[in-house]
Amino acid sequence: MEIIIYGIVNSVTLALMALGFTLVYGVSRLPNFAHGALYVLTGYIAWQLLHSLGVPYFFSGVLALAAVGGVGALMYHFILERIRGMAISEIIASYAIGLAILEGLRWAGLKGGTFILKPFIEGSINLAGVSVDYQRILAVVLGAALVGFLWLFVNQTRLGLALKGMAQDERAAMTLGIDSDRMAVVAMTLGSICAGVAALVLLPLGSIIVESGYQVLVLAVAVCIVGGLGSWTGALLAAFVIGFAQILTVSYLGAHWQMVVALVAIILTLVLRPSGLFGKQKELEERV
Amino acid sequence: MAGHHEGMRKERLDRGIKVRSDGVYAVASWREMAFLVTPRLVLILGLLVLPLAFVQAPYWQKVLSIICIYSLLAIGFDFLAHFVGLVSLGGALYIGVGAYLAAILNTELGLPVWATIPLATVLGGAICTLLLWPCLPLRGVYFAIVSLMFPLLAARIIEALDIFGGTDGIIGVGGFPNVWVEQYLLVICLLLILFGLRRLVNEDVGLVFRGVKDNDQAVKASGINITTFKALGVFIAASLGCLGGAILAHIYNWAGISQFALDFSIIPIAATVVGGGGTLVGPVIGCLLLVPISELLRDFGTLRIAVYAIILMAFIVFKSEGLTSFGARKYNQTERWVEI
Amino acid sequence: MVALSMLALILPAGGALAAKPIILGCPLSTAFLYGWDAERGIKLAVEEINAAGGVKVGKEKRPLQVEVIDTRDLEAGVPVSEALLAVEKLILQKKANFIVGGPVRSEAALAAMALLSKHKMISILSTGVLTPKYHALVAKDYAKFKYLFRISGEVVWMLKGELIPALTAVGKKFNLDRLYIMVQDVAHARAVGKIMGDAMAKKGWKVVGNTVYPTGTTDFSMGLVKAKKENAQVLLITMDMPESAVLLKQWYDMKLPALPFGTILAAAEQPGFWKATEGKGQYTLASVVNAGNTPSNATPWTMKFVNAYQKKYGLEPEGYGTSSSYMAVYVLKDAIERAGSLNSDKVVAALEKTDMMGVYGRIRFDPKSHQIIPDIDPKKGAVGTIFQWQQGKRVVVFPPSIATGQILLPPWMKK
Repeated sequence: MEIIIYGIVNSVTLALMALGFTLVYGVSRLPNFAHGALYVLTGYIAWQLLHSLGVPYFFSGVLALAAVGGVGALMYHFILERIRGMAISEIIASYAIGLAILEGLRWAGLKGGTFILKPFIEGSINLAGVSVDYQRILAVVLGAALVGFLWLFVNQTRLGLALKGMAQDERAAMTLGIDSDRMAVVAMTLGSICAGVAALVLLPLGSIIVESGYQVLVLAVAVCIVGGLGSWTGALLAAFVIGFAQILTVSYLGAHWQMVVALVAIILTLVLRPSGLFGKQKELEERV
Repeated sequence: MAGHHEGMRKERLDRGIKVRSDGVYAVASWREMAFLVTPRLVLILGLLVLPLAFVQAPYWQKVLSIICIYSLLAIGFDFLAHFVGLVSLGGALYIGVGAYLAAILNTELGLPVWATIPLATVLGGAICTLLLWPCLPLRGVYFAIVSLMFPLLAARIIEALDIFGGTDGIIGVGGFPNVWVEQYLLVICLLLILFGLRRLVNEDVGLVFRGVKDNDQAVKASGINITTFKALGVFIAASLGCLGGAILAHIYNWAGISQFALDFSIIPIAATVVGGGGTLVGPVIGCLLLVPISELLRDFGTLRIAVYAIILMAFIVFKSEGLTSFGARKYNQTERWVEI
Repeated sequence: MVALSMLALILPAGGALAAKPIILGCPLSTAFLYGWDAERGIKLAVEEINAAGGVKVGKEKRPLQVEVIDTRDLEAGVPVSEALLAVEKLILQKKANFIVGGPVRSEAALAAMALLSKHKMISILSTGVLTPKYHALVAKDYAKFKYLFRISGEVVWMLKGELIPALTAVGKKFNLDRLYIMVQDVAHARAVGKIMGDAMAKKGWKVVGNTVYPTGTTDFSMGLVKAKKENAQVLLITMDMPESAVLLKQWYDMKLPALPFGTILAAAEQPGFWKATEGKGQYTLASVVNAGNTPSNATPWTMKFVNAYQKKYGLEPEGYGTSSSYMAVYVLKDAIERAGSLNSDKVVAALEKTDMMGVYGRIRFDPKSHQIIPDIDPKKGAVGTIFQWQQGKRVVVFPPSIATGQILLPPWMKK
């Protein structure tokens, strides 16, 4: 029973981490390797607002999200836009931005274990003999809500449909008058906010440390690759596959094999089926 | 010259001695000869003299060793990325395998330094190639990411199985007899490899490599096995990294899991970007610039990584050709403004 | 030319003002608790010594100068060779006379041994590294490694001399004997968990469970639930990741009737722990390796140190490398003055004869392994400290000779 409940919690956590990454990649084919840095940045801004400026909890969260959305948009507009389409350059540049943010934060004083955000709701509940924090249940609920919201947004609004069009065929979208760079900025903003939401929901469970930026990035990339880069359904499914695989490894094999399992999953997926579980088959683009 | 050039364009003219393509020159005088030879000589003599120049600053001699090790990795990265078309983000795998091999050969079998280094180079190259073999058909971003995972995995496995000294690493690896051997071994290896590889990529086999990069289907259609050539490319690059790793293990008398660390994958790439990809000499120049900058910034703690990242970002966005290509253009061509 | 000659004029004049400083090189991972704690301890000691006139070398009084360098050795993704290069920079370029402090991570410290002895550089390790391998290597190859000392505790004594007796005493006092082990997934923590489990089993305890958590976990409830099911009475925790604070929060929220007993529990060491957990860290026990890292009355010097630290930095000493790094400077000063020179071999001989009352008891080095000699009595050797969080304060509960309070059980554990 606990495997099922914690498997679900762990999977939704992974999905939350990966959502922003897959959104940006899906729309603008941009692997945003600064994703983890944006995650930590949100937590840090919220913490500073809350503790140094005394802004109420809710508003500091909203402000932090707005700030990170802005950072994402500026980052795209001023830097990444210039190297669109060169995948390796995009990876290196966005990783460099992430590195600059994370190490800059560390230099600015984000170190040690005392940066802790309060959970929204304290306490825990007993579900079928398994104790679960309210915050974790909230994470599952919010994760589902975020997915639902994004689905509605993409399928029901003009802006969302334009994004979807971009994702499907950029040239065709452009001939229909969709400004591809503006859409990419929108996607980047949304993706950054997704990273921020994940941070605000998940960081109260632990503490804000620089290392989690790197960890979130690796996990997000893992989920997206196993699911198929840019595929939403794939990412969700992969989050569950990896989430349960991790919990099962911890329960039956020992914790130190957890990361090994995730890494082997990536390597196997890439070698056997590079486009992932749900990626579109583009055999010739991926392998010879 | 005036600041405004509206209605004008910059015209670039090759200098007279360049005949048809890169690397073919018509030399008519000693002056032209000197023009060609000077940049190469500056690099060769410069590298040979540097260890001597730092006699009074032994610390910078150490920095030079680190520069050479990163250069070896960076040359390998540049060769794989721009001549074979495989972007390998896993430089740390090569360093780690080389270092562990050298350390094991030295401490377990008692082989001396002059035997462990070549053995670790060749064996290490072979091991890395075998490990990466199943991934060779992958292209572009997919190969990049999969190669990034290997060093992480290797470190985790050594940790989980607690083999090769586990997290403490292997200590007590033999060292070099003196600092000159260490320095000149590295510098001479680096120069030989640099010019050897430059020769190699212009031979027939280099042509095939570039064919694999530019149009693998065409190469395949010519009845050439692409995977074999990719494997050969990986073997060359991995051997360079393993050589660096083996020497690193002997310099510090130690091998440990942190030799699979991410820095070994990132810094060579940064150096290639800054120095100029596809030139082979660019990565060396990149390392010669970046590693000392990072040393000078050491007093600022973690800020230096941020500065480093910003330099890297600025280069990739605003000057993606890199310093070498930029410099070569300025050196080999004259520029002037002409009316449109 | 003018500038040059002016420079030539200024230089000797400047040199005559103060005697040449003795340079202490400190290779530390400054972005981490076990790095900056040592940095602060060392700087405090140097400030005090310089204010009192400096170190007497022969007839001359010379000031101390600290050169801290960031080794980044606790950061993931950074190779140890980076830390070694930093150590070499201190030796070769900053012309350090002595190395004090780190490297902090065991892997780096072990790797640095060859390098330090190659340069005949005296080093006093004072933070981070707890592995017994360090002084075992010194003892094994004394001729080569005789320049290396360690003034902070090591894990074998911590277990045998402090943690196991302390836990046994807790068990006797409150009639507890069911142990649940929770460790972080790193080799040293797993080893500590195993040794403690085996030792307690020999003393008649029952080890009812063992959970290994991956580094970076934020959810500890699976182990906590299991501990509850098995009626565990003591949770033995070994973790150096900051997320371990969450474990205590979850423990408090569940009102789990088991006493959290930390061996190394990095999060709980910092004074900021109380605020970070909003008081839910109440009743948590942890070790800070050496006395003086929390307020206590081990020696007359202890509170003097704690107060001076608090005055300079605005909070109590934090990590377990603080008091030992502070003492390392004083021990070095003492040895230099007795040797009357900075010569490595002479200072090594003097350090081996060190016998002074320090912040955490009597300080002597084992002449063979150069490890500080520990004891549970501050009059006989260096004492450790196990404390419990009570009402926002770290109350020392072990060893009894320096205790400032009694161990309390959480109210929900009282029958």
